[in-house]
Formats: sequence, structure tokens, C-alpha cells
Amino acid sequence: MYRYDAIDKEFLADRTREFREQCRRRLNGELTEVQFKRLRLMNGLYLQLHAYMLRIAIPYGTLTSRKLHRLAHVARTYDKGYGHFTTRTNLQLHWIKLRDAPDIIDQLAEVELHSIQTSGNCIRNVTADPYAGAAADEVDDSRVWAEAIRQWSTVHPEFSYLPRKFKIAVSASEKDRTAARSYDIGLRIHRNAEGELGFEVMVGGGQGRKPYLAPTIRPFVPAERLFSYLEAIMRTYNRQGRRDDIWKARIKVLVAALGAEEFARQVEEEWVRSGDYADIPLAEIERIRESFGTPAFEALPERSEVFEAAKADAAFARFARRNVHAHKQPGYAIVDIALKNPGETPGDCSADQMDAIAELGARYSLDEIRVNYQQNLVLPHVKLDDVPAVFEALKGIGLAGANMNLITDIIACPGLDYCSLANARAIPIAQAIALRFADPEKAEAIGELKINISGCINACGHHHLGNIGILGVDKKGEEFYQLSLGGSGEADASLAQILGPSLSKDQVPDAVEALVGAYMREREPGERFLDTLRRVGPKPFKEAVYAEAH
Amino acid sequence: MKALTANDLLSGEPVFWSRGRWAERFADAEIFDGEAAEAALAQAAAQKTVVVEPYLIDLQQTEHGPVPVSFRERLRALGPSNHPQHGKQAEGGADIEALAHATGAARSSGRLELIKRH
Repeated sequence: MYRYDAIDKEFLADRTREFREQCRRRLNGELTEVQFKRLRLMNGLYLQLHAYMLRIAIPYGTLTSRKLHRLAHVARTYDKGYGHFTTRTNLQLHWIKLRDAPDIIDQLAEVELHSIQTSGNCIRNVTADPYAGAAADEVDDSRVWAEAIRQWSTVHPEFSYLPRKFKIAVSASEKDRTAARSYDIGLRIHRNAEGELGFEVMVGGGQGRKPYLAPTIRPFVPAERLFSYLEAIMRTYNRQGRRDDIWKARIKVLVAALGAEEFARQVEEEWVRSGDYADIPLAEIERIRESFGTPAFEALPERSEVFEAAKADAAFARFARRNVHAHKQPGYAIVDIALKNPGETPGDCSADQMDAIAELGARYSLDEIRVNYQQNLVLPHVKLDDVPAVFEALKGIGLAGANMNLITDIIACPGLDYCSLANARAIPIAQAIALRFADPEKAEAIGELKINISGCINACGHHHLGNIGILGVDKKGEEFYQLSLGGSGEADASLAQILGPSLSKDQVPDAVEALVGAYMREREPGERFLDTLRRVGPKPFKEAVYAEAH
Repeated sequence: MKALTANDLLSGEPVFWSRGRWAERFADAEIFDGEAAEAALAQAAAQKTVVVEPYLIDLQQTEHGPVPVSFRERLRALGPSNHPQHGKQAEGGADIEALAHATGAARSSGRLELIKRH
């Protein structure tokens, strides 16, 4: 885990003092709401339907047990005893009072957490591979680069008032676990033919009203030149991004308007002009790397008899198949924790569950816990011998669901139940679909199928990237849902295409069942839902939905 | 038929104008017909250290009394549907039942006006 230095700590202390003062001035009338809104948003404090919402950054989705315990404490003390993990790997608390906000920010700062740049037109919390430092297939530790980007971008004077918000993801293996092509900038760490470390740079992805997958504008930027290249991109965007129209202000619109080739040419021109002054010396990158420390892995045999024997229990065997993944260190595994119990709110975690997971992290995962964009948690360094004990402990807190990447592992934004931007609710739709497919055998027989639900066109629920995407729309004040098919946020990234007319809330679970039925009829051995759809096209799916759901 | 709503500055909770003060429950909201609503809105808008962004909402008559026409506004007056133990709905009562069972839909016109003004 990266450890804050004196400068980081002093900066956070300054910001918390400043925020307390801003709140005081708002409450005594020195600041109007219009003036204060911008300041509170810079600290991640939104005003939503039922209360204030605090969006807490979880830098590159990485937590220690101490940090997770503190989040549990804040959720219990100042909220209603739970929090909501988001697709940006942040934690949202939905029942915050303005009068408590400065104290909360102070408490977070004590454990090196904050909510800075979780809102506003700046570079937001950076996303990294949730399996960083653990995955057998990673080229480099993406957290190191994400932390360097965090340091570079935090209150960067040139990039604090961009035309619009800006999100960066760092992926580090062939298998993209960050949805990098849907980001303003997606970086993929890889090695060139000479074995040198560098980045494939993808720019101009994004979801929302007009979704785009980011084209690659440079296949390889040497690692030591990353930051000057990033600055050249930001400068090109800052100069030409649309500030006159909020719906056209994201970099994706600029890249699409200029064309990827012309945008790349302008970035190259700027890169040459600005030189290498922004590059961070590799010695500094190595200092950051050392700050993460080296996990104290034990030398263990590759095979664990304890783990293998536990598979005699069918429920554990399913957990091992769905939630346990290969680790780079022999005798260890990566364990996913699904926050997706059918019938419950995707991404929600109670304070008691947070405390229990923090204890599991401390005892079994070298004090590390991760958050992924699918709104689940990860214990990245678990001994295979310990996986059965972790499974038992997860059962005790109701989080032993073995449904990773299955039809019940649904991504859903808070939607109209909480969010002041939403047009329709997302959570009850997710609950109804998950309950329909709650039988774990049925879900596993269907296989990998990702359903993503957003309550409005802003697409916080990543509906454009769902194998089945569901978008809540407002038809004269009534909730309706538009289905799309064929999205993927992985290395084979694609955008979902609209299937047909929108459906009422009650029709959606039947429509999903019809889609699954069509897939089961059409699929060939070994095919996922997405494979079958790509092979046969949408026609049988469309017919199934509109014949059976209407 | 209208009511006047806002969010309480300190707690962020939805509140409803009730004869010169702010009430937490929709059941206590003052119901306006005609120009009195605009006068109340002007009065509320001056309370800058008490509430945030007051606006008027349209109501419809039901057999249990008036309820907001907009689904969004009914949700504000109730609480989130995934956690019925949270929000105003937690307290229960006939007014909560009326809100929960109301049908009909329209956009929140007052809210849209507010967005347009920004």
C-alpha cells in the first residue's frame, strides 16, 4: 500500500481545514448556495433526493483493513450503517448531513482517505487493475502508475478547470479488468518488441449520451515519457474542448470531431513543443513502487490439498470456480467477494460487513482489499490453504455468493432511488432480475452474462458496456427501460446496440428471461451470451423479447 | 394545486412549506391554489441559510388526499424503494400509504424550472 509522505499529509490537512471553513461560511450566509456548491463538489459532497451524498475516493480501488474499518465507522456513525461501492471504485454514503461533513472529512484524512476530485471538471480518481500486484498475467503493477498519475493530477493548476470531468484507467495485462476503452484516457501497460516497458494510449472513450470506445492514438509511449505525453493530450483537450455546451465538452467529442488521426497528430505536435519537462524521473516511479512495499509472500507449493479437499462441498466448489483466480505467487489465489446477493442492492455493503471484510483482509490477504468497477470487492493475496476459511467467514456475513460474471452479478447505479440526475430507478430492476435467476445452478448453466443498468443517460451503471444493457428513461414522468445488446468492457470492447422500443418496469424481467431463452436455443458449445449474439446477430433476441414480453 | 418543497440546508432532507415554517412530512405541507404559492416561494427563496433550492410541485387529488403528480417527488416524500426502513416512509402512517399507492406520472415541473434557471 502506498504510504503518504509529509507533503501528502500536510496537503490533506490544509484541504480539510479549508473545507471546514467553507462549510462555516455557508452556514452563516457568507457564501450563497451557488458559490458553495462548486466548493462542496470539489470535496465530493453532492445534494441528492433524500440527503447529502459524500463520494469518497478509493485511490485505484485499493484499501487496507484500517481504511475499510474507518469507512465502516463513518458509515455507522454518520450515515445509516451502509455504503455503496460504485463503478468508479469509489464509496458513496447517501445519508450525510452537511453539519457532519467536516468531521467526516477529518476522520477520513486520519487514514489517508479523502473525497478530493471525486467531482468537478478535473482529473478524477484513477482506475487501476483490481488484481494489480497479484495477477499472474500482469506486465507491471498498475497501482504504481495510477499513484504517480494521482500525484501529478491532484490540484494540477493547468488541469483543475477542464472543459469537463476527466477519467483515466490503467490496465496492465491482455485481459482488461478496467474497461479502459470507455475512459477519457485508457492506458495499457505492455512491453515492445525490444522488451521495453511502455503504454498503449487510448483517448476519447466514454459513455453517456453519445458513447465512444477510445481509439488508440499511440501504440507505445515509453514509460519514462508517459507524463509529458499525458500533458500533451490534456493541453490539446484544454485548448480545444467545447466549453460552450456541456453535452459536447468531453474529450470523446473532440476526438470524434477531429478524427483520431488528426487528434493524435496535434498531440504529437504539442509533445514535441512542450518537451520532456513534465516527465517524472524513473527513480521517482521506483520510490513510489517501494512505498507500496513487497507483500510478505510465503514460499508455498503450487497445489493446496486443503483447497482441493474442500471442493467436495458443492457450494465451495462453485465458489472456487467462479470467485477464485490465479495468482502470480505459487500457493496463493485472488478471491472475489460479490456484493450481489440476489434481491439486494448491487454494490451495497453494511458497516458490519465492511468490518468483517477488513478483518479478513488483515488475517488472510496481507492487509489488502480491492474494489473493482463491477461493484465487488477483492481479497488479492489469499493462501489457497486459507480459501475455505475465507469462504466460511463470507457465508457468516452473507457474502459468499459464487456469481462473479454471471447473470446475477449485475451492475446498477443508485438511480432515481437516490440520485437527483436520474430519470428512473435502477436498483429495483436489478433486484427483480437477480431474484428471477437466483438459483445458482441455473445462473451457472447460463454462464457468463453481464447485465448493466443505468438510471439515466449519464450511464454510471455502464449500460453501454453490458452484454445486456438497460437504460432507465422518462416517458412523461413514468419509468421506462430501453434494452441494448452486445456491450463489453473487456479487451474485446464493444458498445451495446438498442434492441427496440422501451419496456415498462414490470416487463423487464420477462424480457431478460426471453433473451436468455433465445441464447440457450441458439448457443453452440462453449459460447458465452456475447459470442452467440455476435455470431447470430440480434434478430432472434429481438423476436424473443417483442414476441414474449409484449 | 401545488406544494412548496426544498432541501434542508443542514441535513439535506426534503422539507415542505407549512404556513411560514418547514415541515419534514409531506402530510404537513401547505396546499396552494393560485397566487399564494408564488408568494410563499419568494418568501422561501429568501431563507438562504435554512433551505436549498425551493421549488413548487404539482399535486393531484386522490381519495386519500393530495399527492405529488411526479413520481420523483413522491419518491422524495417517501424514501428509497430499496430501503423501506429509511426516509420518511420509515415512520409509516396513512399519508405514507397514500403516497406509496399513488399512480399517475408527470415530470417534476418545478424541478425542471429550477434546472432551466441554472
